Amino acid sequence: MSNKLFLLPALVSAPSQNGVGRYVGQLQRVVLKFCKNNGSSRGMRDFIESGLVNFAKENPGVVVYLKPRRHRSPIIKAEYLNGDTQWMSVRNFPQEEILKWLTLLNTQAQCHNGQRLRRLWFTEHPSIQGPWTPYTFRDPSLNLVSFPIEELAQPKDLPKSSEEELLELFKKQKLQEVESKRAE
Amino acid sequence: MSALKRVQQWATFARIWHLYDAAWQNPFDSAQVIKKHLMGLHKPIYHTMSQCGDVVVVINSADIALPGDEWKKRVYFHHTGYPGGASWTLAWELHEKDPTMVLKKAVYNSMDGNIQRRYTMQRLLIFPDSNVPKDILENISNQLRPLRKVPKRLDHYPEKEVKEFPKIIDYPKDYIVK
Repeated sequence: MSNKLFLLPALVSAPSQNGVGRYVGQLQRVVLKFCKNNGSSRGMRDFIESGLVNFAKENPGVVVYLKPRRHRSPIIKAEYLNGDTQWMSVRNFPQEEILKWLTLLNTQAQCHNGQRLRRLWFTEHPSIQGPWTPYTFRDPSLNLVSFPIEELAQPKDLPKSSEEELLELFKKQKLQEVESKRAE
Repeated sequence: MSALKRVQQWATFARIWHLYDAAWQNPFDSAQVIKKHLMGLHKPIYHTMSQCGDVVVVINSADIALPGDEWKKRVYFHHTGYPGGASWTLAWELHEKDPTMVLKKAVYNSMDGNIQRRYTMQRLLIFPDSNVPKDILENISNQLRPLRKVPKRLDHYPEKEVKEFPKIIDYPKDYIVK
């Protein structure tokens, strides 16, 4: 079921700004279920013997239960503050791997099964200058005119036409005539 | 969504009404500009899945200018679906029947044939002359510049300006002005 279509899109989130100022561990309770005889629980038994007490001491906020049961494969059941319950099979896992998964369960805030992160970051304010609107770079003088207007009736940056050039020459000529009269 | 963010959303996706004067313009080049604004491609927030297209009101579509001899050579094909139902209409014939049709088809054909195209076309309003209903005209808040220079006829200049225009040459005395 790793198909994108079956996974619910989700955003990265922390409950009530967890980690800002103080941190509240979100893992409430963890139950390690295992068999005392079966080979698939060997790693789990090793972990309980060597690493579990350490884990419980380091994380006093987490309640750890052990539940031996006959001839069933080992699982980890984690319960979170928000009510989520995560069930995880650790069949044939070595003890190092079990510690790794336990650390993951301990550090996350909820069960992410069946979810797909839309992106790996989240922000309340995606833009500092504010999102774009159609009015952002608009010439304010256009707000008071009634369309159509003459200023926008021709294309931008037209080359000078021969008519305009002729008029300019004519103006220059007139000026020169006036100046030459003054000189006299 | 908070009240402020809701208003931000409305502002970002506000639909602008553009005015485009098609007089003396090539409809096939104009279609590229009109299409861009109809689909919202000119916006930095454009995305295919979001409805960010604007409305374009085209005026003076009766005065479009086709390049070369396209009025005579361009053919519009239609088939009724029945045997012998094919018909070919020249551009000038179509323009006589409906002076908005050439431009409308130019815009329609400039877009990809997907589901969205019909809905995008609904946002295009074409008028053969400059008589636009008041309720449409009061929505317009932007004007698109034409692509080509709109020439001005000699009889549209004020008489005084024509008389005062500098003379380059004098006609010979025996020259007959047509």
